[in-house]
Amino acid sequence: MNQPPPIKIAIKNFRVFQGKEEALRGVTLDVPANRVLGIIGPAGSGKTTFLRALNRLNDLSPDTHIEGQVLLDGEDIYHPEYDVVSLRKRVGMLFALPVALPMSIYENVVYGPRLSGIRKRAQLDEIVERSLTSAFLWDEVKDRLQMSGLRLSGGQQQRLCLARVLAMDEAEVILLDEPCSGLDPISTAKIEDALTLLKSKYTIILVTNNTKQAARVADDTAFFLLGELVECGPTKKIFTVPDDKRTNEYVTGRFG
Amino acid sequence: MRISPKVAQILAVAVLGAATLLTLVVLVFVIVFVLVKGLPGVTWQFLSTAPLDMGKSGGIFPTLVGTVLLPLLAIAIALPLGVGTSVYLTEYTRENRFTQALRFGTDCLAGIPSIIFGLFGFIFFVVMLRMGWCLLSGALTLAIMVLPTIIRTSEEAIRAVPNAYREVSFSLGATRWETVLRVVLPNALPGIVTGVILGIGRSIGETAAVIFTAGSSLRMPTTVFDSVRTMSVHFYILAREGISNENAYATAAVLIISVLLINLVAYTMMHRFIAKRAK
Repeated sequence: MNQPPPIKIAIKNFRVFQGKEEALRGVTLDVPANRVLGIIGPAGSGKTTFLRALNRLNDLSPDTHIEGQVLLDGEDIYHPEYDVVSLRKRVGMLFALPVALPMSIYENVVYGPRLSGIRKRAQLDEIVERSLTSAFLWDEVKDRLQMSGLRLSGGQQQRLCLARVLAMDEAEVILLDEPCSGLDPISTAKIEDALTLLKSKYTIILVTNNTKQAARVADDTAFFLLGELVECGPTKKIFTVPDDKRTNEYVTGRFG
Repeated sequence: MRISPKVAQILAVAVLGAATLLTLVVLVFVIVFVLVKGLPGVTWQFLSTAPLDMGKSGGIFPTLVGTVLLPLLAIAIALPLGVGTSVYLTEYTRENRFTQALRFGTDCLAGIPSIIFGLFGFIFFVVMLRMGWCLLSGALTLAIMVLPTIIRTSEEAIRAVPNAYREVSFSLGATRWETVLRVVLPNALPGIVTGVILGIGRSIGETAAVIFTAGSSLRMPTTVFDSVRTMSVHFYILAREGISNENAYATAAVLIISVLLINLVAYTMMHRFIAKRAK
Protein backbone atom coordinates (compact mmCIF):
# COMPACT_ATOMS: atom_id res chain seq x y z
CA MET A 1 0.00 0.00 0.00
CA ASN A 2 2.74 2.40 0.86
CA GLN A 3 4.74 1.59 -2.22
CA PRO A 4 5.90 4.81 -3.91
CA PRO A 5 4.05 5.47 -7.19
CA PRO A 6 5.99 4.65 -10.38
CA ILE A 7 7.93 7.49 -11.99
CA LYS A 8 6.28 8.72 -15.19
CA ILE A 9 8.75 11.43 -16.14
CA ALA A 10 12.30 11.69 -14.82
CA ILE A 11 14.05 14.99 -15.45
CA LYS A 12 17.81 14.87 -14.99
CA ASN A 13 19.99 17.96 -14.68
CA PHE A 14 17.93 19.61 -17.40
CA ARG A 15 18.94 22.98 -18.82
CA VAL A 16 17.29 25.16 -21.45
CA PHE A 17 19.11 27.97 -23.18
CA GLN A 18 17.24 30.61 -25.11
CA GLY A 19 19.91 32.40 -27.08
CA LYS A 20 22.58 33.16 -24.52
CA GLU A 21 20.22 33.20 -21.61
CA GLU A 22 19.87 30.13 -19.44
CA ALA A 23 16.14 29.89 -18.83
CA LEU A 24 16.28 26.66 -16.89
CA ARG A 25 19.35 25.98 -14.75
CA GLY A 26 19.78 22.32 -14.16
CA VAL A 27 16.45 20.92 -12.95
CA THR A 28 16.29 17.41 -11.54
CA LEU A 29 12.83 16.16 -10.71
CA ASP A 30 10.80 12.96 -10.73
CA VAL A 31 7.16 13.19 -11.70
CA PRO A 32 5.16 10.27 -10.27
CA ALA A 33 2.41 8.71 -12.37
CA ASN A 34 -1.30 9.36 -11.75
CA ARG A 35 -0.80 12.38 -9.56
CA VAL A 36 -1.17 16.10 -10.03
CA LEU A 37 2.11 17.99 -9.80
CA GLY A 38 1.64 21.71 -9.24
CA ILE A 39 4.36 24.08 -10.34
CA ILE A 40 4.44 27.48 -8.70
CA GLY A 41 6.82 30.39 -8.82
CA PRO A 42 6.94 34.06 -9.73
CA ALA A 43 6.88 35.27 -13.35
CA GLY A 44 10.10 34.53 -15.22
CA SER A 45 11.03 31.58 -13.06
CA GLY A 46 11.07 29.12 -15.97
CA LYS A 47 7.79 27.33 -15.23
CA THR A 48 6.44 27.64 -18.74
CA THR A 49 9.81 26.86 -20.32
CA PHE A 50 9.94 23.72 -18.19
CA LEU A 51 6.45 22.67 -19.22
CA ARG A 52 7.02 23.30 -22.91
CA ALA A 53 10.20 21.25 -22.75
CA LEU A 54 8.21 18.18 -21.73
CA ASN A 55 6.44 17.88 -25.09
CA ARG A 56 9.23 19.59 -27.00
CA LEU A 57 7.20 22.62 -28.01
CA ASN A 58 10.34 24.62 -27.26
CA ASP A 59 11.75 23.08 -30.43
CA LEU A 60 9.60 25.51 -32.38
CA SER A 61 11.33 28.61 -31.05
CA PRO A 62 14.57 29.49 -32.79
CA ASP A 63 17.88 29.49 -30.88
CA THR A 64 16.69 27.23 -28.13
CA HIS A 65 18.89 24.37 -27.10
CA ILE A 66 18.92 22.02 -24.17
CA GLU A 67 21.24 19.98 -22.00
CA GLY A 68 20.43 17.06 -19.75
CA GLN A 69 17.72 14.46 -20.06
CA VAL A 70 13.97 14.08 -19.89
CA LEU A 71 12.92 10.45 -19.59
CA LEU A 72 9.32 9.52 -20.33
CA ASP A 73 8.73 5.96 -19.14
CA GLY A 74 12.50 5.60 -19.14
CA GLU A 75 13.04 6.79 -22.71
CA ASP A 76 14.95 9.98 -23.46
CA ILE A 77 12.56 12.24 -25.37
CA TYR A 78 15.46 14.35 -26.65
CA HIS A 79 17.21 11.39 -28.22
CA PRO A 80 17.77 12.24 -31.92
CA GLU A 81 15.73 9.24 -33.01
CA TYR A 82 12.83 9.88 -30.66
CA ASP A 83 9.57 10.47 -32.54
CA VAL A 84 8.36 13.96 -31.59
CA VAL A 85 4.93 13.50 -33.15
CA SER A 86 4.15 10.45 -31.04
CA LEU A 87 5.58 12.24 -27.99
CA ARG A 88 3.10 15.10 -28.43
CA LYS A 89 0.24 12.65 -28.78
CA ARG A 90 1.23 11.11 -25.46
CA VAL A 91 1.90 14.42 -23.73
CA GLY A 92 -1.00 16.80 -24.34
CA MET A 93 -0.99 20.47 -23.49
CA LEU A 94 -3.36 23.23 -22.45
CA PHE A 95 -2.22 26.81 -22.99
CA ALA A 96 -2.73 29.88 -20.85
CA LEU A 97 -5.01 31.41 -23.44
CA PRO A 98 -7.65 28.97 -24.58
CA VAL A 99 -7.23 28.50 -28.31
CA ALA A 100 -10.15 26.90 -30.07
CA LEU A 101 -9.21 26.22 -33.65
CA PRO A 102 -11.47 28.05 -36.11
CA MET A 103 -13.61 25.03 -36.87
CA SER A 104 -16.65 23.39 -35.33
CA ILE A 105 -16.68 22.11 -31.74
CA TYR A 106 -16.87 18.60 -33.13
CA GLU A 107 -13.89 19.08 -35.43
CA ASN A 108 -11.88 20.63 -32.62
CA VAL A 109 -12.32 17.54 -30.49
CA VAL A 110 -11.55 15.05 -33.24
CA TYR A 111 -8.49 16.95 -34.51
CA GLY A 112 -6.07 14.59 -32.79
CA PRO A 113 -7.98 11.36 -33.50
CA ARG A 114 -8.30 12.27 -37.18
CA LEU A 115 -4.52 12.77 -37.33
CA SER A 116 -4.16 9.29 -35.89
CA GLY A 117 -6.22 7.99 -38.78
CA ILE A 118 -9.60 7.40 -37.16
CA ARG A 119 -12.24 7.85 -39.88
CA LYS A 120 -15.33 5.97 -38.72
CA ARG A 121 -18.12 8.36 -37.87
CA ALA A 122 -19.51 6.25 -35.05
CA GLN A 123 -16.12 5.98 -33.40
CA LEU A 124 -15.52 9.74 -33.71
CA ASP A 125 -18.99 10.46 -32.31
CA GLU A 126 -18.21 8.26 -29.34
CA ILE A 127 -14.86 10.02 -28.77
CA VAL A 128 -16.53 13.44 -28.90
CA GLU A 129 -19.17 12.54 -26.34
CA ARG A 130 -16.71 10.83 -24.00
CA SER A 131 -14.09 13.62 -24.13
CA LEU A 132 -16.55 16.47 -23.75
CA THR A 133 -18.18 14.67 -20.85
CA SER A 134 -14.84 14.22 -19.09
CA ALA A 135 -14.12 17.91 -19.63
CA PHE A 136 -17.50 18.87 -18.09
CA LEU A 137 -18.62 20.52 -21.32
CA TRP A 138 -20.93 17.96 -22.94
CA ASP A 139 -24.18 19.19 -21.43
CA GLU A 140 -23.52 22.74 -22.55
CA VAL A 141 -22.70 21.96 -26.17
CA LYS A 142 -24.29 18.62 -27.06
CA ASP A 143 -26.99 20.30 -29.14
CA ARG A 144 -24.66 22.51 -31.13
CA LEU A 145 -21.60 20.45 -31.93
CA GLN A 146 -21.44 21.91 -35.43
CA MET A 147 -21.14 25.45 -34.11
CA SER A 148 -17.74 27.12 -34.43
CA GLY A 149 -15.57 26.60 -31.37
CA LEU A 150 -14.69 30.30 -31.50
CA ARG A 151 -18.20 31.21 -30.38
CA LEU A 152 -17.82 29.55 -27.00
CA SER A 153 -16.93 31.62 -23.95
CA GLY A 154 -13.35 31.62 -22.67
CA GLY A 155 -14.09 29.10 -19.95
CA GLN A 156 -15.91 26.83 -22.37
CA GLN A 157 -13.09 27.14 -24.88
CA GLN A 158 -10.57 26.05 -22.26
CA ARG A 159 -12.67 23.00 -21.46
CA LEU A 160 -12.92 22.35 -25.20
CA CYS A 161 -9.12 22.43 -25.29
CA LEU A 162 -9.06 19.91 -22.45
CA ALA A 163 -11.52 17.69 -24.31
CA ARG A 164 -9.28 17.94 -27.37
CA VAL A 165 -6.39 16.51 -25.37
CA LEU A 166 -8.56 13.83 -23.75
CA ALA A 167 -9.80 12.79 -27.19
CA MET A 168 -6.37 11.45 -28.00
CA ASP A 169 -6.25 7.80 -27.20
CA GLU A 170 -2.49 7.92 -26.79
CA ALA A 171 -2.50 10.72 -24.19
CA GLU A 172 -0.89 9.78 -20.88
CA VAL A 173 0.36 13.09 -19.56
CA ILE A 174 -1.47 16.43 -19.52
CA LEU A 175 0.49 19.65 -19.23
CA LEU A 176 -1.42 22.74 -18.20
CA ASP A 177 0.13 26.18 -18.49
CA GLU A 178 -1.83 28.50 -16.19
CA PRO A 179 -5.04 27.18 -17.72
CA CYS A 180 -7.31 29.26 -15.54
CA SER A 181 -5.52 32.59 -15.60
CA GLY A 182 -8.20 34.23 -17.73
CA LEU A 183 -11.21 32.34 -16.45
CA ASP A 184 -14.07 33.08 -14.08
CA PRO A 185 -14.29 31.17 -10.78
CA ILE A 186 -16.98 28.77 -11.99
CA SER A 187 -15.06 27.75 -15.09
CA THR A 188 -11.96 27.43 -12.95
CA ALA A 189 -13.78 25.13 -10.55
CA LYS A 190 -14.98 22.97 -13.44
CA ILE A 191 -11.44 22.58 -14.78
CA GLU A 192 -10.14 21.75 -11.30
CA ASP A 193 -12.89 19.17 -10.76
CA ALA A 194 -12.06 17.61 -14.10
CA LEU A 195 -8.37 17.39 -13.20
CA THR A 196 -9.07 15.73 -9.87
CA LEU A 197 -11.08 13.04 -11.65
CA LEU A 198 -8.62 12.66 -14.50
CA LYS A 199 -5.57 11.84 -12.45
CA SER A 200 -6.62 8.22 -12.12
CA LYS A 201 -5.91 7.89 -15.83
CA TYR A 202 -3.35 10.59 -16.52
CA THR A 203 -0.26 12.17 -15.04
CA ILE A 204 -0.96 15.86 -14.69
CA ILE A 205 1.45 18.76 -14.43
CA LEU A 206 -0.17 22.07 -13.64
CA VAL A 207 1.71 25.36 -13.84
CA THR A 208 -0.16 28.01 -11.96
CA ASN A 209 0.26 31.59 -10.86
CA ASN A 210 -2.34 31.03 -8.24
CA THR A 211 -0.79 29.31 -5.21
CA LYS A 212 -4.25 28.59 -3.83
CA GLN A 213 -5.03 26.59 -6.93
CA ALA A 214 -1.93 24.48 -6.38
CA ALA A 215 -2.97 23.96 -2.78
CA ARG A 216 -6.45 22.84 -3.88
CA VAL A 217 -5.54 20.56 -6.76
CA ALA A 218 -1.95 19.38 -6.58
CA ASP A 219 -0.75 16.28 -4.77
CA ASP A 220 2.84 17.44 -5.03
CA THR A 221 4.11 20.94 -5.56
CA ALA A 222 7.36 22.21 -7.02
CA PHE A 223 8.60 25.73 -6.45
CA PHE A 224 10.63 27.37 -9.22
CA LEU A 225 12.65 30.54 -8.84
CA LEU A 226 14.83 32.23 -11.46
CA GLY A 227 15.15 29.09 -13.56
CA GLU A 228 15.94 26.83 -10.63
CA LEU A 229 13.88 24.23 -8.86
CA VAL A 230 14.02 25.34 -5.25
CA GLU A 231 12.18 22.40 -3.81
CA CYS A 232 9.52 19.82 -4.52
CA GLY A 233 7.44 17.79 -2.12
CA PRO A 234 3.93 16.90 -1.01
CA THR A 235 1.72 19.94 -1.38
CA LYS A 236 0.81 20.00 2.29
CA LYS A 237 4.45 20.14 3.30
CA ILE A 238 5.36 22.84 0.76
CA PHE A 239 2.55 25.03 2.01
CA THR A 240 3.13 24.49 5.71
CA VAL A 241 6.69 23.48 6.55
CA PRO A 242 8.84 23.91 3.43
CA ASP A 243 12.54 23.19 3.75
CA ASP A 244 13.65 26.36 2.01
CA LYS A 245 13.16 29.85 3.36
CA ARG A 246 12.39 31.25 -0.10
CA THR A 247 9.56 28.76 -0.60
CA ASN A 248 8.08 29.81 2.68
CA GLU A 249 8.26 33.46 1.73
CA TYR A 250 6.60 32.81 -1.62
CA VAL A 251 3.72 30.66 -0.39
CA THR A 252 2.96 33.02 2.44
CA GLY A 253 2.87 35.86 -0.04
CA ARG A 254 5.86 37.81 1.11
CA PHE A 255 7.20 38.20 -2.45
CA GLY A 256 6.39 37.25 -6.03
CA MET B 1 0.27 80.54 -37.76
CA ARG B 2 -1.13 77.42 -36.19
CA ILE B 3 -4.32 76.05 -37.62
CA SER B 4 -6.79 75.18 -34.91
CA PRO B 5 -7.56 71.46 -34.60
CA LYS B 6 -11.18 72.12 -35.51
CA VAL B 7 -10.27 73.78 -38.78
CA ALA B 8 -7.68 71.10 -39.48
CA GLN B 9 -10.35 68.46 -38.96
CA ILE B 10 -12.72 70.15 -41.40
CA LEU B 11 -9.91 70.58 -43.91
CA ALA B 12 -8.90 66.95 -43.59
CA VAL B 13 -12.43 65.72 -44.20
CA ALA B 14 -12.74 68.03 -47.21
CA VAL B 15 -9.43 66.99 -48.77
CA LEU B 16 -9.90 63.26 -48.15
CA GLY B 17 -13.48 63.45 -49.37
CA ALA B 18 -12.42 65.28 -52.51
CA ALA B 19 -9.72 62.68 -53.21
CA THR B 20 -12.24 59.87 -52.84
CA LEU B 21 -14.76 61.66 -55.00
CA LEU B 22 -12.22 62.35 -57.73
CA THR B 23 -11.12 58.71 -57.78
CA LEU B 24 -14.71 57.56 -57.99
CA VAL B 25 -15.59 60.03 -60.72
CA VAL B 26 -12.66 58.96 -62.89
CA LEU B 27 -13.51 55.29 -62.37
CA VAL B 28 -17.20 55.71 -63.06
CA PHE B 29 -16.47 57.91 -66.05
CA VAL B 30 -14.22 55.31 -67.67
CA ILE B 31 -16.70 52.51 -67.09
CA VAL B 32 -19.73 54.52 -68.19
CA PHE B 33 -17.90 55.85 -71.26
CA VAL B 34 -16.93 52.38 -72.43
CA LEU B 35 -20.34 50.91 -71.66
CA VAL B 36 -22.26 53.71 -73.42
CA LYS B 37 -20.09 53.42 -76.49
CA GLY B 38 -19.88 49.64 -76.44
CA LEU B 39 -23.10 48.19 -75.06
CA PRO B 40 -25.25 48.95 -78.14
CA GLY B 41 -22.99 46.62 -80.11
CA VAL B 42 -23.21 43.79 -77.58
CA THR B 43 -25.84 41.36 -78.75
CA TRP B 44 -26.23 37.64 -78.38
CA GLN B 45 -25.17 37.42 -82.00
CA PHE B 46 -21.98 39.39 -81.19
CA LEU B 47 -21.10 37.12 -78.29
CA SER B 48 -21.85 33.82 -79.95
CA THR B 49 -20.47 34.06 -83.48
CA ALA B 50 -16.99 34.13 -84.94
CA PRO B 51 -15.53 37.37 -86.33
CA LEU B 52 -15.77 37.95 -90.06
CA ASP B 53 -13.39 39.95 -92.19
CA MET B 54 -10.70 40.31 -89.46
CA GLY B 55 -13.29 41.52 -87.00
CA LYS B 56 -14.86 44.23 -89.10
CA SER B 57 -18.12 42.43 -88.71
CA GLY B 58 -19.31 39.29 -86.97
CA GLY B 59 -18.84 38.46 -83.31
CA ILE B 60 -16.11 37.73 -80.78
CA PHE B 61 -16.84 34.19 -79.68
CA PRO B 62 -13.32 32.74 -80.16
CA THR B 63 -11.74 35.67 -78.29
CA LEU B 64 -14.21 35.13 -75.47
CA VAL B 65 -13.03 31.53 -75.26
CA GLY B 66 -9.41 32.67 -75.39
CA THR B 67 -10.01 35.19 -72.62
CA VAL B 68 -11.43 32.48 -70.39
CA LEU B 69 -8.86 29.78 -71.19
CA LEU B 70 -5.65 31.81 -71.06
CA PRO B 71 -5.96 33.28 -67.55
CA LEU B 72 -7.45 30.04 -66.28
CA LEU B 73 -4.47 28.04 -67.51
CA ALA B 74 -2.06 30.72 -66.26
CA ILE B 75 -3.58 30.61 -62.76
CA ALA B 76 -3.65 26.82 -62.80
CA ILE B 77 0.12 26.92 -63.35
CA ALA B 78 0.91 29.85 -61.05
CA LEU B 79 -1.30 28.93 -58.09
CA PRO B 80 0.40 25.71 -56.95
CA LEU B 81 3.85 27.22 -57.59
CA GLY B 82 3.03 30.46 -55.80
CA VAL B 83 1.27 28.95 -52.81
CA GLY B 84 3.94 26.27 -52.55
CA THR B 85 6.66 28.90 -52.52
CA SER B 86 4.95 31.02 -49.92
CA VAL B 87 4.28 28.02 -47.67
CA TYR B 88 7.93 27.07 -47.97
CA LEU B 89 9.09 30.60 -47.20
CA THR B 90 6.85 31.04 -44.19
CA GLU B 91 6.54 27.58 -42.65
CA TYR B 92 9.64 25.68 -43.59
CA THR B 93 12.46 28.20 -43.46
CA ARG B 94 13.57 30.72 -40.93
CA GLU B 95 14.22 34.24 -42.12
CA ASN B 96 17.74 34.25 -43.62
CA ARG B 97 19.77 35.67 -46.50
CA PHE B 98 18.26 33.19 -48.91
CA THR B 99 14.62 33.99 -48.13
CA GLN B 100 15.38 37.70 -48.14
CA ALA B 101 16.98 37.40 -51.57
CA LEU B 102 14.01 35.40 -52.79
CA ARG B 103 11.56 37.98 -51.51
CA PHE B 104 13.57 40.80 -53.04
CA GLY B 105 13.60 38.90 -56.31
CA THR B 106 9.83 38.43 -56.38
CA ASP B 107 9.30 42.10 -55.54
CA CYS B 108 11.52 43.09 -58.46
CA LEU B 109 9.69 40.65 -60.69
CA ALA B 110 6.40 42.32 -59.76
CA GLY B 111 7.64 45.67 -60.98
CA ILE B 112 8.85 44.59 -64.41
CA PRO B 113 6.77 45.92 -67.34
CA SER B 114 4.68 43.23 -68.96
CA ILE B 115 6.24 43.75 -72.37
CA ILE B 116 9.51 42.40 -70.96
CA PHE B 117 7.71 39.24 -69.88
CA GLY B 118 6.23 39.10 -73.36
CA LEU B 119 9.66 39.37 -74.92
CA PHE B 120 11.05 36.72 -72.59
CA GLY B 121 8.12 34.42 -73.30
CA PHE B 122 8.58 34.95 -77.02
CA ILE B 123 12.31 34.18 -76.96
CA PHE B 124 12.13 31.32 -74.48
CA PHE B 125 8.84 29.49 -75.04
CA VAL B 126 7.90 30.47 -78.58
CA VAL B 127 11.34 30.36 -80.21
CA MET B 128 13.79 28.41 -78.07
CA LEU B 129 11.40 25.67 -76.95
CA ARG B 130 9.75 25.79 -80.40
CA MET B 131 6.31 25.94 -78.88
CA GLY B 132 5.19 28.63 -81.30
CA TRP B 133 2.49 31.19 -80.56
CA CYS B 134 0.02 29.22 -78.55
CA LEU B 135 -2.22 29.05 -75.54
CA LEU B 136 0.45 27.27 -73.51
CA SER B 137 3.24 29.75 -74.31
CA GLY B 138 0.94 32.58 -73.34
CA ALA B 139 -0.26 30.88 -70.15
CA LEU B 140 3.30 30.10 -69.03
CA THR B 141 4.35 33.69 -69.64
CA LEU B 142 1.33 35.08 -67.78
CA ALA B 143 1.96 32.59 -64.98
CA ILE B 144 5.47 33.96 -64.47
CA MET B 145 4.02 37.45 -64.56
CA VAL B 146 1.38 36.90 -61.88
CA LEU B 147 3.55 34.65 -59.72
CA PRO B 148 5.00 37.50 -57.61
CA THR B 149 1.53 38.81 -56.80
CA ILE B 150 0.33 35.38 -55.75
CA ILE B 151 3.45 34.68 -53.69
CA ARG B 152 3.28 38.03 -51.90
CA THR B 153 -0.42 37.97 -51.07
CA SER B 154 -0.32 34.30 -50.01
CA GLU B 155 2.71 34.91 -47.87
CA GLU B 156 1.03 37.76 -46.06
CA ALA B 157 -2.14 35.74 -45.61
CA ILE B 158 -0.15 32.82 -44.19
CA ARG B 159 1.80 35.06 -41.84
CA ALA B 160 -1.47 36.50 -40.56
CA VAL B 161 -2.60 33.07 -39.30
CA PRO B 162 -2.12 33.23 -35.51
CA ASN B 163 0.88 31.30 -34.27
CA ALA B 164 -1.24 29.90 -31.45
CA TYR B 165 -3.16 27.82 -34.01
CA ARG B 166 0.08 26.23 -35.16
CA GLU B 167 1.18 25.52 -31.60
CA VAL B 168 -2.13 23.86 -30.80
CA SER B 169 -1.88 21.75 -33.91
CA PHE B 170 1.67 20.68 -33.09
CA SER B 171 0.76 19.98 -29.49
CA LEU B 172 -1.94 17.61 -30.73
CA GLY B 173 0.65 15.58 -32.58
CA ALA B 174 0.34 17.07 -36.05
CA THR B 175 3.36 17.21 -38.31
CA ARG B 176 4.26 20.47 -39.98
CA TRP B 177 2.63 19.37 -43.21
CA GLU B 178 -0.59 18.32 -41.46
CA THR B 179 -0.60 21.68 -39.72
CA VAL B 180 -0.17 23.47 -43.05
CA LEU B 181 -3.01 21.49 -44.62
CA ARG B 182 -5.51 21.56 -41.78
CA VAL B 183 -4.89 24.86 -40.05
CA VAL B 184 -2.66 27.25 -41.99
CA LEU B 185 -4.02 27.04 -45.53
CA PRO B 186 -7.75 27.04 -44.64
CA ASN B 187 -7.22 30.15 -42.55
CA ALA B 188 -5.09 31.84 -45.18
CA LEU B 189 -7.53 31.04 -47.98
CA PRO B 190 -9.31 34.42 -48.17
CA GLY B 191 -5.95 36.15 -48.62
CA ILE B 192 -4.82 33.63 -51.20
CA VAL B 193 -8.07 34.11 -53.12
CA THR B 194 -7.43 37.86 -53.15
CA GLY B 195 -4.06 37.19 -54.78
CA VAL B 196 -5.70 34.95 -57.34
CA ILE B 197 -8.30 37.59 -58.19
CA LEU B 198 -5.58 40.17 -58.65
CA GLY B 199 -3.69 37.70 -60.82
CA ILE B 200 -6.76 36.93 -62.95
CA GLY B 201 -7.44 40.64 -63.33
CA ARG B 202 -3.91 41.27 -64.43
CA SER B 203 -3.85 38.43 -66.94
CA ILE B 204 -7.27 39.24 -68.44
CA GLY B 205 -6.23 42.79 -69.10
CA GLU B 206 -2.79 41.88 -70.36
CA THR B 207 -2.16 42.63 -74.00
CA ALA B 208 1.54 43.12 -74.72
CA ALA B 209 2.75 39.86 -73.20
CA VAL B 210 -0.09 37.94 -74.84
CA ILE B 211 0.40 39.18 -78.41
CA PHE B 212 4.03 38.07 -78.24
CA THR B 213 3.35 34.61 -76.85
CA ALA B 214 -0.19 33.45 -77.57
CA GLY B 215 -0.41 35.18 -80.91
CA SER B 216 -3.59 36.64 -82.30
CA SER B 217 -5.22 33.92 -84.33
CA LEU B 218 -8.95 34.35 -84.76
CA ARG B 219 -9.57 30.65 -85.10
CA MET B 220 -11.12 28.64 -82.31
CA PRO B 221 -8.41 26.90 -80.23
CA THR B 222 -8.77 23.14 -79.96
CA THR B 223 -5.56 22.28 -78.05
CA VAL B 224 -3.15 24.21 -75.83
CA PHE B 225 -0.78 24.34 -78.80
CA ASP B 226 -3.16 26.47 -80.84
CA SER B 227 -2.77 30.20 -81.06
CA VAL B 228 -5.56 32.23 -79.44
CA ARG B 229 -6.64 35.83 -79.37
CA THR B 230 -7.97 37.31 -76.15
CA MET B 231 -10.48 40.13 -75.96
CA SER B 232 -7.79 42.59 -74.90
CA VAL B 233 -5.68 41.71 -77.91
CA HIS B 234 -8.73 41.78 -80.16
CA PHE B 235 -9.67 45.21 -78.88
CA TYR B 236 -6.12 46.43 -79.36
CA ILE B 237 -5.91 45.18 -82.93
CA LEU B 238 -9.38 46.47 -83.89
CA ALA B 239 -8.60 49.91 -82.55
CA ARG B 240 -4.95 50.06 -83.62
CA GLU B 241 -5.55 48.94 -87.17
CA GLY B 242 -8.71 50.99 -87.43
CA ILE B 243 -10.70 47.92 -88.37
CA SER B 244 -13.89 48.70 -86.50
CA ASN B 245 -14.40 51.19 -83.72
CA GLU B 246 -17.88 49.91 -82.86
CA ASN B 247 -16.67 46.35 -82.45
CA ALA B 248 -13.66 47.54 -80.46
CA TYR B 249 -15.87 49.34 -77.97
CA ALA B 250 -18.29 46.45 -77.81
CA THR B 251 -15.38 44.13 -77.02
CA ALA B 252 -14.15 46.52 -74.34
CA ALA B 253 -17.61 46.58 -72.78
CA VAL B 254 -17.72 42.79 -72.64
CA LEU B 255 -14.23 42.77 -71.14
CA ILE B 256 -15.15 45.20 -68.38
CA ILE B 257 -18.32 43.31 -67.54
CA SER B 258 -16.40 40.03 -67.40
CA VAL B 259 -13.84 41.44 -64.98
CA LEU B 260 -16.60 42.81 -62.76
CA LEU B 261 -18.39 39.46 -62.84
CA ILE B 262 -15.25 37.51 -61.96
CA ASN B 263 -14.56 39.74 -58.98
CA LEU B 264 -18.15 39.46 -57.85
CA VAL B 265 -18.17 35.68 -58.06
CA ALA B 266 -14.81 35.35 -56.32
CA TYR B 267 -15.76 37.63 -53.45
CA THR B 268 -19.11 35.93 -53.00
CA MET B 269 -17.42 32.55 -52.87
CA MET B 270 -14.90 33.85 -50.34
CA HIS B 271 -17.52 35.37 -48.08
CA ARG B 272 -19.58 32.22 -48.19
CA PHE B 273 -16.49 30.26 -47.17
CA ILE B 274 -15.68 32.60 -44.28
CA ALA B 275 -19.28 32.62 -43.10
CA LYS B 276 -19.36 28.84 -43.13
CA ARG B 277 -16.31 28.61 -40.90
CA ALA B 278 -17.52 31.20 -38.41
CA LYS B 279 -20.95 29.64 -38.00
